[in-house]
Amino acid sequence: MKWWLDFSSDAFMVAFYLYCASFITFAIAVGGKRWSNRKPEDHANRWGKIGFGLAVVGWIAHLTFFFTRWYGGGHIPTSNMYEFMTFLGMAIMFAFIIVHLIYRNMLLGAFALPLVVIIVAYASVFPSEVQPLIPALNNVWLKIHVTTAATGEAFFAVGFAAALVQLIRVVDFTRTDKAGRRSQFWTEFSLFVIIVLVGFIVAVFAFRGAGYEASFTQEKVTIADDGTALSEVNKVEYSLPPLVAPYNSETVVFKPFLGMSKPLVEAPSWLNGVNAGRKLNTIIWSVIAGVILYGILRLIARKKLTAAIHPHLSDIDADDLEEISYRAIAIGFPIFTLGALIFAMIWAQIAWSRFWGWDPKEVWALITWLFYSAYLHLRLSRGWQGTRSAWLAVIGFLVVMFTLVGVNLVIAGLHSYAGA
Amino acid sequence: MFQNTKCECGHQNPIGTVLCESCGKPLDEGLLKDENAQLEMRYDGVARRSQKANPHVVDRIWNFFSSVKIAVYLIVITLIGASLGTIFQQESTLINMTERSEFAAFYKEKYGTVGVIYHALGLSRTYESWWFITLLVMIGTSLVVCSLDRVLPLYRALSKQQIRKHLQFITRQQVVYVGTLKDEPKEWVGRFGQELKRKRYRVWQENGALLAEKNRFSRWGPYINHIGLIIFLLAVLGRSIPSWHMDQYLSLYEGETRQIPGTNYYLKSDKFTVDYYNDSELANNQKGTKVVKLYETQARLYECTDACDDPLAEPVLKEVMQHEIRVNSALTYKGLSIYQNSYQERVRLISVHPTLLDVGTGEAFGTFDLLMDHPDRNQFQVGDYTLKLNDYYPDFSLDEQKRPMTKSRDPNNPAFVFRIFGPGVQSKGEIYIYFPLPNEKSKYYEQVLNESFKIRGDNTGRFAVKVENPIVDGKMNNIEYSEYTTYLNIRVDKAMPYIWVGAAISMIGLIMGFYWQHRRIWLRVDGDKLSLGGHTNKNSFGLRADVAWALGRSGIEVSPKSLDNRRNSR
Amino acid sequence: MGRYRKPIQYVILAFVLLIGGFAIGNSLFTKSVVLAKGDKPPSFRLADLNSQVHELKDYEGKPLIINFWGTFCPPCRNEMPALQQQYEKWKGQGLELIGINLSEDRLTVDSFIRQIGVDFPILLDKDKKTEKAYGLKQYPTTFFITPAGKIQEVVIGGLLTEDEIEKRVERLMQS
Repeated sequence: MKWWLDFSSDAFMVAFYLYCASFITFAIAVGGKRWSNRKPEDHANRWGKIGFGLAVVGWIAHLTFFFTRWYGGGHIPTSNMYEFMTFLGMAIMFAFIIVHLIYRNMLLGAFALPLVVIIVAYASVFPSEVQPLIPALNNVWLKIHVTTAATGEAFFAVGFAAALVQLIRVVDFTRTDKAGRRSQFWTEFSLFVIIVLVGFIVAVFAFRGAGYEASFTQEKVTIADDGTALSEVNKVEYSLPPLVAPYNSETVVFKPFLGMSKPLVEAPSWLNGVNAGRKLNTIIWSVIAGVILYGILRLIARKKLTAAIHPHLSDIDADDLEEISYRAIAIGFPIFTLGALIFAMIWAQIAWSRFWGWDPKEVWALITWLFYSAYLHLRLSRGWQGTRSAWLAVIGFLVVMFTLVGVNLVIAGLHSYAGA
Repeated sequence: MFQNTKCECGHQNPIGTVLCESCGKPLDEGLLKDENAQLEMRYDGVARRSQKANPHVVDRIWNFFSSVKIAVYLIVITLIGASLGTIFQQESTLINMTERSEFAAFYKEKYGTVGVIYHALGLSRTYESWWFITLLVMIGTSLVVCSLDRVLPLYRALSKQQIRKHLQFITRQQVVYVGTLKDEPKEWVGRFGQELKRKRYRVWQENGALLAEKNRFSRWGPYINHIGLIIFLLAVLGRSIPSWHMDQYLSLYEGETRQIPGTNYYLKSDKFTVDYYNDSELANNQKGTKVVKLYETQARLYECTDACDDPLAEPVLKEVMQHEIRVNSALTYKGLSIYQNSYQERVRLISVHPTLLDVGTGEAFGTFDLLMDHPDRNQFQVGDYTLKLNDYYPDFSLDEQKRPMTKSRDPNNPAFVFRIFGPGVQSKGEIYIYFPLPNEKSKYYEQVLNESFKIRGDNTGRFAVKVENPIVDGKMNNIEYSEYTTYLNIRVDKAMPYIWVGAAISMIGLIMGFYWQHRRIWLRVDGDKLSLGGHTNKNSFGLRADVAWALGRSGIEVSPKSLDNRRNSR
Repeated sequence: MGRYRKPIQYVILAFVLLIGGFAIGNSLFTKSVVLAKGDKPPSFRLADLNSQVHELKDYEGKPLIINFWGTFCPPCRNEMPALQQQYEKWKGQGLELIGINLSEDRLTVDSFIRQIGVDFPILLDKDKKTEKAYGLKQYPTTFFITPAGKIQEVVIGGLLTEDEIEKRVERLMQS
């Protein structure tokens, strides 16, 4: 069993590097059209084919990871955040391959692959060891519900990638009026948000690689019904240097960082949970790392990042991108409905005795569904096409990510075992 | 506003028609102005059912719900409303509380001032609130009205389509090809039709005009989906019919049998087991912690057959089912489902098997069985002696006047007062108080109280009641106890079949609507001029590929891309 | 189809009004499990210590006090003698008083009652069934029920002195 798990993590690394290679190749396909002496279309096709080939091989390695881990771990690897995120990455690749085979658009790869790379890297932030299943998860519906829901979400992710390209494609940098500047700002901002997520991953791995640690204890006193005071001491470990300590906490370990030997501030009292301080600290670090990363990229590009990417997209039709985005969402919507709502209801009925209980995760799945149904209605019946529907596709994916990650980090409910 | 609804082809159209129902010529003045603009093909340009010249109040209400714009607003408001309910825990998750004051206290304690506001605004019951239910009712209404208003005219329009369409109708579609035809028109159109048939199109021809259509059924997908959703919503509503729905919790210690309130069934927990993973099965960061592998209640369901409601007699029970209730494996019997909810590790004595001893000689007179809760008899025969149960305190304590009383109804520290009769015992008997719980406090009570009976002359100190060999091989002996109390959730949900039917229908509709696309191609030849227009509600990429393929097979090479009539200037 | 458009619209909107009204109405009037003034007390069928069966409907048309109590609850124990006093005083004028014990063992109840000397009927609840039907949260709880079968007053918690009981009994007898 151990052998299989080791093999599985090797396969995962192979998949990760192949995805990175595929991304670079796709980027060359899009960005390097004018380098060589060949005709631009030939260049794009050639490099695009290589990129797609690498992506498919990477995906096969990813599948190998999945099934060997399943075999080695004894249960389907979708039971915690690490496993779910890697599965989501795999599902996005699946959705990407399907959509690519339909439309053969090289640009899509240049945007879908970095998304997969980010998600797979994000997965690696979580502890990767195989954990045995708790009784609630020990059911066939774990396989059915999680895989279908993630597949639906993966198509939304591809829709998001296409919509983002479309937005960068149609941004008009010559406009100086209010609406024009607004669309320039928000497109740039979308990229910035993605870079902050990358910043988070970079910060975590940098400090983890350096072996950074700090920990705090927090004492919480509660008065029991019979009037006795119960004190509970919780310990929290930081893997990023604590700029913010938990509210009302004592320092246990603090490795100095850049001359800083104690936390700068303590979390405000309304963030009084022991983990709330850690989460706030992580967010601050992500933004810092994101800003630095963004700054470096801006210095290299010497203009807005969207403006740097924009010229490379000029020979693609925005309508095609819009159609790809819409099509991906249209393929994903029934799968999402089936996996995240209907199968979820069936399992909830079996495990929790009710098909629907307004648990935060359930509500957010419903919100996602409502959001995409609004998108579809606006498109099909109100003629919202082009940039407006692209923005909806981008926001929709934000809702998806909040449902998957945000709910676990911010609101805990019955799905808390999937949390970090 | 006056609108001429009669088309030049002679067809009389209803008010609100965008494209002539018969020949497809644009009727809407806006559409006529810009000759190049792409046609609005929604619902094939037919008037929605409710569009009328002089709306009445009922028509106005109807029109309100018939608007997709309103539907989208409703969806968005519901979405935002639903998200508000996820900020803090909902009242429905607090199964131990029922009263408003209890909830108010909970939110104040847990979330502070924000919690108080949250509760006061009623957001702690978002999903049961009148406004949220109203939104759902409005969405339901909108589903019915919108669908009805669109599906009927669309059905009519699609079931009697004209083959020959107005030239403007064809050249203003999303997929267009215009060119000169070198071949003999009739023969070419026939050949082209054959090619389309290979792509599973249904083809109609009429002197130089052609209509090819495929996957029309996909147009009904959204409406089938909406029917499914309506059934689903109605089924959800059905759950508020009292006899359709039951949701309650029952606690059982091992060996306990209790009636399921409101039913004729009784449930017994034979045994409750918890299994933990051993260390080798755990991940490194979990080692040394207890991770539950499995917990289950071995349950027995009884049906009462006689004396069910007789307060004087014990009910006659007939076993109907046995099941190991686990998370993910409920006991289900005739619409009643019993789910494992949670458990508590709480030792509770069930019965003991003590011995009556002679303190002086150590002689054992015999043993008897004693139930800790609701002792089933008040006289015990032990050898030559009779033990009469005089008093019973499940949770022994003393009141303010130092009289014995019970602190609670649970046998946390039971005490039994016996009057012992038999050979060599004074005629009024000998009083003996027995504390079965093997702890210091109860043994101290037992000693002190028996001592006081002795002083009063009710007890000679000759007898003792105690469990012999209470522990054999590390296990309790002569003592029956329950280690775990199981909490079970009892459910009746008669609406479930309808819920699943609704969900299934809705799913079928979605698949029909999204994985197939209604594609139509119109073609006409005027002299040597070939005009082709194609329309699909989704996936025009696929339609363009179809058209380019069929044209190519018929001798006209075009790239699918060049057929795209859409403008980038949106 | 066109001819029936109007009737169909009316029928559908009427349905919406009916079903929607039911749904919204349900959400507006959430039922509290605790009984309050003006409610109809739930029926019961319980045995007393002499194995006589008592039902709520046996007491229809009479002013009735139902006292839920247990030997484990000191205020319940303390107010028993006062209740007995008032019962003796008013029973001639038709007052009925029943004590419903909170699912304790018969032996425990019997010996306590003998000790206090209570002669109004003491009924034995089984497995908290009646107690739950009455939505009890605290003990003791006393319900004053008019001859018309409506709850006039619910007194939660003990410390009912004789005066206080009397005041309420008078009010009950007047109704």
